[in-house]
Amino acid sequence: MDFAFTSDQQLLKSSARAFLDERCKPAAVRLLWEDARGASDAMWKEMAQLGWLGLALPEAHGGSDLGMVETALLLEELGRASYPGPYLPTMLVATAINRVGTDAQKGRWLPAVSSGSARGAVALLDGELSWSPEAITTRASSAGTGWKLSGTKPFVAWAHLADVLLVPARGAEGTTVFLVDPASPGIKQTPVTGMDLATRWVNLTLDGVPVGLDAVLGGLGKGQGVLESMLRMGAVGAAAEMLGAGRRCLDMAVEYAKVREQFGQPIGSFQAIRHKCAEMLLEVENTHAAVYYAAWALDAGADDADLAASVAKAYAGDASRKVCGEAIQVHGGIGFTWEYDLHLYFKRAKALEVQYGDADYHRELITRRVTA
Amino acid sequence: MDLNYAPEDRAFREATRRWFQANTPKVEPKTLAERKAWHRTMYDAGYVGMLWPKEYGGRGATPMQQAIVQDEMARAEAPPPINGLGIGFIGPTIIVHGTEAQKQRYLQKMLTAEEIWCQLYSEPNAGSDLAGLKTRAEDAGDDFFVISGQKIWTSSGPIADWGILLARTDSKVPKHKGISCFLFNMRQPGVDVRPLKQITGSSLFSEVFMTGARAEKSDLIGKLNGGWEIAQTTLGYERGANSLGRVTRYLTAFHHLVRMVKELKRNGKALIDDPVVRAKLGKIFTELEVQRYAALRVLSALSKGEPISAASSITKLSYTEFEKRFFELGVEILGPWGQLMPGSPDDVVEEMSTSSGEPGTFATAYLWSRAGTIYSGSSEIQKNVIGERVLGLPKEVRADRMKG
Repeated sequence: MDFAFTSDQQLLKSSARAFLDERCKPAAVRLLWEDARGASDAMWKEMAQLGWLGLALPEAHGGSDLGMVETALLLEELGRASYPGPYLPTMLVATAINRVGTDAQKGRWLPAVSSGSARGAVALLDGELSWSPEAITTRASSAGTGWKLSGTKPFVAWAHLADVLLVPARGAEGTTVFLVDPASPGIKQTPVTGMDLATRWVNLTLDGVPVGLDAVLGGLGKGQGVLESMLRMGAVGAAAEMLGAGRRCLDMAVEYAKVREQFGQPIGSFQAIRHKCAEMLLEVENTHAAVYYAAWALDAGADDADLAASVAKAYAGDASRKVCGEAIQVHGGIGFTWEYDLHLYFKRAKALEVQYGDADYHRELITRRVTA
Repeated sequence: MDLNYAPEDRAFREATRRWFQANTPKVEPKTLAERKAWHRTMYDAGYVGMLWPKEYGGRGATPMQQAIVQDEMARAEAPPPINGLGIGFIGPTIIVHGTEAQKQRYLQKMLTAEEIWCQLYSEPNAGSDLAGLKTRAEDAGDDFFVISGQKIWTSSGPIADWGILLARTDSKVPKHKGISCFLFNMRQPGVDVRPLKQITGSSLFSEVFMTGARAEKSDLIGKLNGGWEIAQTTLGYERGANSLGRVTRYLTAFHHLVRMVKELKRNGKALIDDPVVRAKLGKIFTELEVQRYAALRVLSALSKGEPISAASSITKLSYTEFEKRFFELGVEILGPWGQLMPGSPDDVVEEMSTSSGEPGTFATAYLWSRAGTIYSGSSEIQKNVIGERVLGLPKEVRADRMKG
């Protein structure tokens, strides 16, 4: 039983911190907020060179063969920097291809992801806005040797940058996941602006988008398992990012409470502030335990991996919202200004809450499991 | 990072589980003699004093093995050992700070529960501000001190043979510097123990009045006027690692709740089918499970011998505050059935082990949950410790510090 990171893992974390402190400063994030595409190609290439994009992919495809714990470590640091870009969705697509893809699909996409020349997006939600894979309504109608996909896929993060879209649809065989070329005829992309400008969402409409047999990921009618697995990994990944956002806000609040003086003394000496900071630390540490337990459970194929993923996502959502919000409260008026950086992380945490299953969805999964 | 249990820990758990399945009494031990007998049975099997060194009669086990024993006790809903305070922190305090003579005199009888121990720290006017205690120990010249004062919230008071006592030996120096720590005989003239009735209706703790009682000089622990430092380490032991067992007790309570929720109806349908109830169950189980993950993390640090003294304030704050939310939500879900105390003529409400170690209903557990955030340093004190020692926030300006 060892809950601590190995020295390699610690090294990965500290080098990620150093890189992002240098290349993804709040000023850089703000520039990308103003950018039409919202992410930096140069940073993406550097992330590839650092080995981040192939982190959990096989060495044969240019990766490092590491696992979800290492991925979560990076995601925590990315969340801490409010990094804008498609890291998590690309990892989800690549991991799914690695898990259930054909050799041809792996050969086509995995080296490209590792080297930084391909990005992915996942269209998990559809018109009904249900996270449950059973609720997919997008249709896959037979057309010759392939299918035509029709439906709406709202809130697809970073679809406008994607080289491959992962699209679940329901057909005669049940639910199937397809790898779709975003340039296919019949796809319309409409950007939507959320509160976090470092999370770019696109509404997709699919109107008879043609796909062939080579687009099927993980077998015809096998979509539910593929989606559940992806949702688990997405939930843990998002929880790790939220942990990073929360820890950044906690650090900022504590530093501020040490130096900001009112009534002739640092505000951190007042119990009203100190107790708030202690509660924030408690939430951050509990989230840490939840995130890394869940990440380990995924890697280890533990019996409770699905439960742990839901627990991590549900807990991290509530905890990071509270911690980031209380950091604003500790700062007072300055924390509410656009110029001060707290809202970068406050908004990132909030945007992640509604992705990969919101807390209500995961709590229902938990209840279903533990009352069965 | 590897959260698998080591093969030897799994084997130890199997053996421990089998033992408790075979030996846990079918009827709850009630009398002092029965409770001592159960304690002795556990001791003879090697399950008491797990962390104590072998030379003092302990098992010299690892923190993981200790946690496993407490976890399996919780799973079997086994009654706790009777001398919990003694085993948990008074004995270890003697081992660390005591003289060889004190170790020879007290430790073995503590382990076997021949002598029961209590803690004489808190006073009516010294709770969170423990260092403000007023009980006096006056040097009587020869070989003893004369003790006078009042202690309160003393668990096991009526059955205790000995107590670990904090008393003031110098009132002219700043308050933290004039306190000494004694091993104190409870069975002597001048000691009056009066049970206090709690909001649960039971009397697990007492007031202790000491009037001209004796504490031998040979029973001074550590240096004269060095009691405060010792009190700090004893509190540190008390915030130790009953981590897994606690979570297993919560889990047992959760399963009781689920069984009741499946059986009970409200507004014409089973509670389990009510989406609001389902959301509440999901929320509380999420928190319960996070308590388990956090416990594993603490256990991992303890196993490697890492210091967790200040961080243990986070653990204590976390589980006691969780416990309140858990039982509040449970009682809320159960509606009027959640109000029922033990002995109610109702076969729906199940009895279970509460955090006090006594069996009870969800209502009892709900009442008990108010204790955790007060005892062993209230939540507010824990937050002060976390703020100052973990986060490094500046100390508050306090009237007593300005004087000292």
